[in-house]
Amino acid sequence: MITSPAPGQTAAARQWFLARTDLASLVDGIRATGRRLIGPTVREGAIVYDDIHSAADLPAGWRDEQSAGRYRLERRTDDRVFGYTVGPTSWKRFTFPANLPIATAHRTATFGFDQPVPEVTPMAFLGVRACELAALNVQDRVFLGGQFTDEDFRARRAAAFIVSVQCTTSSSTCFCTSMGTGPEVHGGYDILLTEIDEGFVVQAGSPEGAAIVAKLPTRKPTHAEAGAAVDNVEAVRTRIGEPMPIPGIDARLKLQLDNPRWGQIAERCVECGNCTMVCPTCFCTSVIEKSDMDGKVATTERQWDSCFDVAFAKIAGGDFRARPRDRYRQWLTHKFSTWMDQFGSMGCVGCGRCVAWCPVGIDVREELMIIAPPIAPVVRPVAVEPVAASPGNFSVARLASVRSETEDTTTLTLTDLDPAFLQGRPGQFVMVALPAFPAVPISISRFRSNGIDLTIRAVGPTSTALVNLHPGVKVGIRGPLGTFWPIEDAYGRHAVVVAGGVGLSPLHGLVDALVANRDRFESISLFYGTRTPEDQLFRDDLAAWSVSKAIDVAVTVDRAGPEWKGRVGVVTTLFDKMSWDCSKVTAFVVGPERMMQASVQGLLSKGVPSDRILISMERHMECGIGLCGHCQMAGRFVCKDGPVFRLHELGDMFNREGI
Amino acid sequence: MATSGRTARPRVAVAKFASCDGCQLTILDLEEELLEIVTRFDIVEFPEATSRRSPGPYDIVFVEGSISAREHLDAIKELRKQARTLVTIGACATAGGIQAMRNWADHDAFRASVYEHPEWIESLATSTPISDHVKVDAELRGCPIDPGQLKELLTAVLVGRRPQIRDEAVCRECKRKGLVCMVVATGEACMGPVTTSGCDALCPTYGRGCFGCFGPRANANAKSWSTSLMKSGRPPDEVWRLFAGFTGYAEPFRSTITELGKVKS
Amino acid sequence: MHAGAMDDYAAVIAILNHTWFGSELAPETQERLARLGTLQDFEADEVILQEGEDATDMGILLSGRLALRTHVPGRGPVTILSIEPGDIFGWSAVLDSTKTQSTVVATQSSQALVIDGTKLRAALKEDHALAASLYPRVLQAVGRRLRATRLQLLDLFAR
Repeated sequence: MITSPAPGQTAAARQWFLARTDLASLVDGIRATGRRLIGPTVREGAIVYDDIHSAADLPAGWRDEQSAGRYRLERRTDDRVFGYTVGPTSWKRFTFPANLPIATAHRTATFGFDQPVPEVTPMAFLGVRACELAALNVQDRVFLGGQFTDEDFRARRAAAFIVSVQCTTSSSTCFCTSMGTGPEVHGGYDILLTEIDEGFVVQAGSPEGAAIVAKLPTRKPTHAEAGAAVDNVEAVRTRIGEPMPIPGIDARLKLQLDNPRWGQIAERCVECGNCTMVCPTCFCTSVIEKSDMDGKVATTERQWDSCFDVAFAKIAGGDFRARPRDRYRQWLTHKFSTWMDQFGSMGCVGCGRCVAWCPVGIDVREELMIIAPPIAPVVRPVAVEPVAASPGNFSVARLASVRSETEDTTTLTLTDLDPAFLQGRPGQFVMVALPAFPAVPISISRFRSNGIDLTIRAVGPTSTALVNLHPGVKVGIRGPLGTFWPIEDAYGRHAVVVAGGVGLSPLHGLVDALVANRDRFESISLFYGTRTPEDQLFRDDLAAWSVSKAIDVAVTVDRAGPEWKGRVGVVTTLFDKMSWDCSKVTAFVVGPERMMQASVQGLLSKGVPSDRILISMERHMECGIGLCGHCQMAGRFVCKDGPVFRLHELGDMFNREGI
Repeated sequence: MATSGRTARPRVAVAKFASCDGCQLTILDLEEELLEIVTRFDIVEFPEATSRRSPGPYDIVFVEGSISAREHLDAIKELRKQARTLVTIGACATAGGIQAMRNWADHDAFRASVYEHPEWIESLATSTPISDHVKVDAELRGCPIDPGQLKELLTAVLVGRRPQIRDEAVCRECKRKGLVCMVVATGEACMGPVTTSGCDALCPTYGRGCFGCFGPRANANAKSWSTSLMKSGRPPDEVWRLFAGFTGYAEPFRSTITELGKVKS
Repeated sequence: MHAGAMDDYAAVIAILNHTWFGSELAPETQERLARLGTLQDFEADEVILQEGEDATDMGILLSGRLALRTHVPGRGPVTILSIEPGDIFGWSAVLDSTKTQSTVVATQSSQALVIDGTKLRAALKEDHALAASLYPRVLQAVGRRLRATRLQLLDLFAR
């Protein structure tokens, strides 16, 4: 073979090539230093970490196939030695033994307690992956980072010589890229191996590592070999795919302590605690006393324990985490949230062991995304590019007609406007301004062939000025803005529109669209509540809808005079009319916030799924495009990410005081 | 009571009902500790070890076997009166044993098919644990019981502390020992996740799935586990057999079996 | 007010089974109520009970709509609640005979199963199974009305 200088002077100076057939020299070289060599070997149908006596013990030609609750060993088509990912053993077995005598006590001729001095044989760990190095670092923070330390761990950790291996393969259970721990190894090793087709690219990370490497039959790697080493690891990152939205999950989880999903997981979880046992960072233990029959000589032994144990949090006064859901929540929130508060890092390194070794196949990644989905900006389909998007830039429309709806609410019809407005979708709004009056957000209550309707309640200077205009004048508008009602969410389902007071305005266009597509829905209902009969909007339309067969309209008022023959009672009493399987309901809700909360509560208790409840939020808006900061709510801009939200997107931010 | 007082050795009796005597033999198997035990306890009644008979009262009675025949009903009540502490040992005494399988079957048909003269057999239609009949102070699980747990119980009695008998999944012992989970790695059926520990993962150590002889642990999610076993491709009657073993009559295995009985093919 | 013939209990039970209140009752309770009560029809605008009168009967509205009105000095009669088919009215008759707090008017032509309070109370005292079946349902009806009243008090549409 023609050898050419390896690329990159500094890298070349630190890299060697070791042929696969010469791996024995490394195994023997480490063992010759007197260290106990621990590494991967095939046992009981898996690749476990155990004593390595010779290179023949290593899992050459084996690979693992992993998914939630499943692990299978398979033959590779080549003889790669590290062509697997991670198995059931983690290095904590050797840094933090499962059973450890921590004290002896006696009351014979003398009385006393003795703590054993940690006596640790020098060890070498062969095949430590990037996520596993991260786990060792987590253990360092847990056991050595605080006021009180675990000296047994310190001794074992110091006694471990580390031979790391870059991952050149991945499992479906791997998520190091999400946790920021891999696949590349960055430091923390004595020797680093990257396996390529013919052998290994070797690097030394410490003087002791360099001394061992110096004795190996190596040569300089070729350009191609050094390049392959980098490419093989990079390919793993690509194969693992898009990282999960982990940043901020610690905060998000804290807001989800009452999420119903905890209870659903608990129905599946068998609480065997295997996730905690295979986890490379879980550190819970219990002590048990063993004594002679007279109780004169006793040994205290520390054992791995698990927060999933029924008795783990029990005291004489009771059990603080009595329900399975409490225990699962404790584990998951500790790993991904409160660990951060305690130790300054996540407790999870993304190795995926808890996913693979859960006998019922619970996948933490899936659960995390259900319980605490990202509140990151939601990219939504845009109905139409808004016109005059920047604040201050308005398009001009003509006021065609003015109709009084109630004592204080008026509907304006605007025509002669930019055609973009006609292509807006129900649920969207426009910013409306008059010279010398600040712009206000008004939802579009109706789309006409040549214009749009805006239904306005006179509450502030601009809205009061608007409702007092006369047909023929001009107004400035920007839009259409914001999210719209996802009407297709109700296809094949019962579409239920719940409106309170002026909340019918942003729903009017939706009702028009539902009725126009009647055949696509199982049924369409409108439940409309107002304070008094006089507060009802769109009375002509309500009457027309009531007589049509397309939609079932039920209205109610909170109080009325004797001339009112209709229902009296709050809007939620209308939910009695939903005699269907409510899991097949898609609900669209708008009204004053307190009314929406009561309605949402009523819908949920009837069994309407939270991702099928759509609400339109109202917040102070000035720019309408997410730049002024006024309308923020739980990390979202109501103008840009809303006003239409799916209830579950808001988590428990909806209904929370002071958001 | 005649035996009270610090210096007196506790009077111990071993009694048996419907059982195979395997648990009594475990006591005798504590070879190294046997001498220590007999010097500290006065074992006055022990059918497997001696034909000597001694009437009560006793400080501790170890009860093996299930209540399976009519004469057992009075005998266990009498024994309870004689016992300051009553400890049930083994799957038969704590859960009804393998013979509790008949609790789901037609007892008369069973009798007729097994015995030449079924009319001579005076067994009850059900086999039930001791705790269904009298108050039980402590129990040692397993078929047979674990000698280590037995020694721990005896030691705790002598030292005057609560025995450290943990209620955790067998999985926990597997993992501490570094065994590979065969459910995940090979698809073997195993009752470990729902079974209480104490055997030091004996069966998994020898490469076979746990068959649940220590019985369900507290709050065992038997429903999820049976669902999971069926999801992995096992027919309901196979899952039924897994649960309906030595401790099948103990809840929640019992209701899982009844439930599976409904879907059994 | 027209008292309907009560020769066909089965028909009344069938109607009860289609109401919110009646469908959850035990079959024996449904039958007992059918036998205790009388079917009554009300015309639109018929005043069933005048504020201040003795409220002796409990009713289950089977069809139509009733309005509960309270007279507020200076504002005249105000409707505070409408009774929809399936719901009950005069529920306090299960406890005791009292003066009614509001005027009950049929706003549409309506039909109800009306049960004499004295007979009902006697039946509840002597038949514990009936009591065990009826009381929880009455409590549920009262409870949800109480919850709705709270929401009404909050004045959800307040500005």
